[in-house]
Amino acid sequence: MKNRLQAIRAEFLDKLKQAQNLDNLREIELKYLSRKGELSEVMHNLKDLSLELKKELGELANNIKKELENSFEETKKIIGIKDDNKVFVDITLPGEKVDRGHLNPITVIQREMEDLFTSLGFIIADGPELESDYFNFTALNIPPLHPARDMQDTFYVDSKNSDGTLDLVMRTHTSPVQVRTMKKFGAPLKAVIPGRCFRNEATDARHEHTFYQFEGIMIDKNINFANLKSLLEIVGKKLFGPNTKLRMRPKFYPFVEPGNNGEYTCFLCEGKGCRVCKNTGWLEIVGAGLVHPDVLRAGGIDPEQYSGLAFGFGLTRLAMLKYGVNDVRAFNSGDLKFLEQI
Amino acid sequence: MYISYNWLKDFIKLSPKVSPQEIAERLTSHTVEVEGLENQSESFLNIVVGKVLEVKKHPNADRLRLVLVDIKEKKLHIVCGAPNVAEGQLVAVALVGAILPGGLEIKTSEIRGELSEGMICAEDELGLGKDHDGIMVLDKRAKVGEPFSQYLKLDDIIFEVDNKSLSNRPDLLSHYGLARELGVIFDAHLKPYEKVIGEKLEFVNDKKIKFDVVVENKDVCARYMAVRIDNVKISESPVWLKERLISIHQRPVNNIVDITNYVMFECGQPLHAFNADNIKKIIVRLARKNETIETLDGKERALDVNDIVICDNTQPIAIAGVMGGRNSEINDTTHSIILESANFKAATVRKTASRLGLRTEASVRFEKSLDPLLTEDALHRFVSLLKKVCPELKISSELFDVKDKLPELSNIELDFVWLFSKIGQEIPKEQVVSILSKLGFKVVKHKDVLNITIPSWRATKDVKNREDLVEEILRIYGYDNIESSLPTEKLSVPEINQERMMERRIKDVLALKFNLSESYNYSFVGEEQLKKLNIDFFNHLKLANPLSEIHSMLRQSLVPGLVSNIKINQFKDDKLGFFEVGSVFFNAPGEFKKDNETEDVVPYQEKRLGIVMANNESDIFISLKSLVSGFLREIIFQNEVTFSEFENIPGWANKKLVAKISILGKEIGWIGTLNEDASNNLNLKLKVGLVEINLDALIKIILDLAPLRFQEAAKYPAVTRDLAFVIFEEILYNDLKREIISFNSLIKSAELFDIYTGDKLASGEKSLAFHLSFQSDERTLTSSEVDVIQNELVAHLANKFEAKLRNF
Repeated sequence: MKNRLQAIRAEFLDKLKQAQNLDNLREIELKYLSRKGELSEVMHNLKDLSLELKKELGELANNIKKELENSFEETKKIIGIKDDNKVFVDITLPGEKVDRGHLNPITVIQREMEDLFTSLGFIIADGPELESDYFNFTALNIPPLHPARDMQDTFYVDSKNSDGTLDLVMRTHTSPVQVRTMKKFGAPLKAVIPGRCFRNEATDARHEHTFYQFEGIMIDKNINFANLKSLLEIVGKKLFGPNTKLRMRPKFYPFVEPGNNGEYTCFLCEGKGCRVCKNTGWLEIVGAGLVHPDVLRAGGIDPEQYSGLAFGFGLTRLAMLKYGVNDVRAFNSGDLKFLEQI
Repeated sequence: MYISYNWLKDFIKLSPKVSPQEIAERLTSHTVEVEGLENQSESFLNIVVGKVLEVKKHPNADRLRLVLVDIKEKKLHIVCGAPNVAEGQLVAVALVGAILPGGLEIKTSEIRGELSEGMICAEDELGLGKDHDGIMVLDKRAKVGEPFSQYLKLDDIIFEVDNKSLSNRPDLLSHYGLARELGVIFDAHLKPYEKVIGEKLEFVNDKKIKFDVVVENKDVCARYMAVRIDNVKISESPVWLKERLISIHQRPVNNIVDITNYVMFECGQPLHAFNADNIKKIIVRLARKNETIETLDGKERALDVNDIVICDNTQPIAIAGVMGGRNSEINDTTHSIILESANFKAATVRKTASRLGLRTEASVRFEKSLDPLLTEDALHRFVSLLKKVCPELKISSELFDVKDKLPELSNIELDFVWLFSKIGQEIPKEQVVSILSKLGFKVVKHKDVLNITIPSWRATKDVKNREDLVEEILRIYGYDNIESSLPTEKLSVPEINQERMMERRIKDVLALKFNLSESYNYSFVGEEQLKKLNIDFFNHLKLANPLSEIHSMLRQSLVPGLVSNIKINQFKDDKLGFFEVGSVFFNAPGEFKKDNETEDVVPYQEKRLGIVMANNESDIFISLKSLVSGFLREIIFQNEVTFSEFENIPGWANKKLVAKISILGKEIGWIGTLNEDASNNLNLKLKVGLVEINLDALIKIILDLAPLRFQEAAKYPAVTRDLAFVIFEEILYNDLKREIISFNSLIKSAELFDIYTGDKLASGEKSLAFHLSFQSDERTLTSSEVDVIQNELVAHLANKFEAKLRNF
């Protein structure tokens, strides 16, 4: 039996030396090392021997087994490397195509802004897209027959109230939600309002009758202009990078006083002037101001106790600037060639 | 709105160091956006003064001449067709490269075989008049070779001001108003308007001329001033007047009309001049039913009883504040005029102008609420200008000035402490006083409180309260000079908008896990689109003023939009999927109030989630169901989705492949496939499956769910048995399953793993195979125990559904 073990050892090592490839190795492994291989068979037979012999041969058998296994693994490594070298793999081949879905770019940019403001403790507020004339205009200090409510710009719904007037509109801005939110939550209040808005204007590459706005309102004791300015600076930096500068211009909006335009340094040319900013170095992005006392009153908030700031901008316009989209209609087109780019 | 710098210089003198660009920038920073700058000296580029040296006949054309023109640096050969060209004339020569106002570019050319190196211009070709009878002959002061713009003394700068955003500032729709702002911005002296007006003429009452003014509705006409002027000679306006009007892009008409316009552009007050011939009396009243008037533009206008009209004894002669009538138009033979300088109610003028679609320079100003004190200045300014143009004029009536008591100037108290708290920092108090004073406010200081009187030109609509004053002070002080500072506040935990967060998660799961693309479709649909889908549209809310027929109604489903998403992409891929989250609108009362007073509500609106899938395989219904189930399980852990029979089958749906979707026993939406009819109507080549879910309802279910609890591992093992039941096709899976699960409490689950129909079954039969799991919380079930329940179940189903066990 001792001889048998030595013979297996010699035969094994000899065959291992001659092995050329992984197939040969597999044969050797099967013949000698597997559960039903020759070595196992011998070891199995040990159980019939005397205790003394069992001990002696058992130790020998185990040592040989270890030795053979080690040699086997070593050879396998060497042959494995040789073997791999023979097969050419084109590592530049693509992986299998994986289906992808896409969020609308407006959704993506809206989330960026929502995340900024929720991190500052703002709530996200909602309101109806089909609005009453009162909340869309009157409550925002735009009384009937005010030039800012031109019929040309507003979609009216063909349903008259008891006075015989058209008093339902597709909201022209997200601002009616300001007043609804004030009424719901009272003061102090910090809220942002993203949403779909409508203007009755013919569509072309630069005009859309359906677009998206994002606006914010903050009401507390002692909210002031300096606060407004610093919030707008934060928005600019978030949108266009840490070096973005803000400048503010007077602009009339009936629901704020003072009323402003906020312009940011152009993110493309960093203020030097380029095609995107029409060579001014500045991009007109945000409308803002301190909330008009009449608007606070309409929201049930006492303007003697509280003051507020408000700002708003077009998500559609931001998305166009940020992603270099030249045709505003793309966002509402459902065209995969557009959507799959995000 | 165009503003001439030369005109502004009549009222203020700025340092010559101040460039027009700087004026534009500072106006934009402090008052109103200047959108553009036009430098007149650049307007006649490559057009110079030339002298005609020689005129010869053209050898090949009778009506053309060969002209040699000296332009100082060289002599040019030009072919000219004008009959009046003659040797010695000084003319305007457009050189090669010049672009005429009409857009014509001058090139070297051959005309009937003769070289022409430029063009001698007529007045109309230069945009300076209507004359095309011959070339424009310049006067002796023209210097050969000098730029034509220099000859015309075109040195003006024209600012283009964004007047759309000036709806609160009627005072700025004029040169004088903007000069006032520049005076404040640049700290320059503003010439008082009395001095601009010059000499005020005496008005005497000439008894021979019978003429009267009656205002019937003083609530719509706060002031009506009028005067009759005789001995007027209608002619072209003098050059200076025409130049001013042309410079701000206005077309000169005749001296009277031009001066009314001049005064309006100068001080902001619209004027109107009537031909006085047949007018004995001016009546200001509301129009009567069925009254009409032919306006100056030659159109017959039907009047409304809310329109203000100016009438003579018999009929309307003008629509107040909008446009004059043809019947009282000034013409070449007019000798007497009645000049109107009035103040009409803003809202009324606005309503009339927008109803008639007739926005005029006058109506644009009236609708912004003009200062009633302005009528007087404007009238005097008109008369003094007319006197210059028609020195022989005679004022032949008294000065009519019909008005009730004019509103008194109001006061606002402004407390510095309050002011600085609104700004967020202190600014020098003396600067606050100086800014307000220069803007025309009267300021009286008592310690830290200012008593401020609003000037009449700011009092109509614009400045009413102290917040308005904050704006005045801040914009002049400079928004850029305020240091920003973040608000300080007590920390508080904001209420999280759970609905919005859930909507976000739903979008993420659909786009990122189920690979659908998010589309945004219009809220508007059209009749044709709905007809193709067999959707009944009679109850849809309609727009009163739609842009087009295709967007004339408010959508009641996301389906039309989603189907169009497939349509436009169907040639791109044969496997498509989209989703949309959007609102739908119904002609029924909703939850949102219309206003703060009544109980009226706006129509019902609901947020929906729509999904569309398209491919060219036959099992679109199954794949879409898998997607919906997978999606709903992803967002509502553990809870099973059920599909059941749907009664309100939409017109576009395949009647066999449509089902209601429920979760936790609550209906949330439906799933269906597009039928052949709809698919053919829309030329769709792919099979289309659709899902629409009430997102508000779904989110409510999710938010009301009990918190997730993990189950403890079962103590005793389950016994599983696979059983296939052969039943009639009409028996629904839902019913069979419900029967199995409810048969015995030890049956813990029944999971469908195979459906078979085919040769081995009789027609009309199907086989549904289930993994049944039997389990007790108290002991290990024995095999024989399970056998008993299983046999009872088989017998029960045989009895209930005639179900047989599948035996192959």
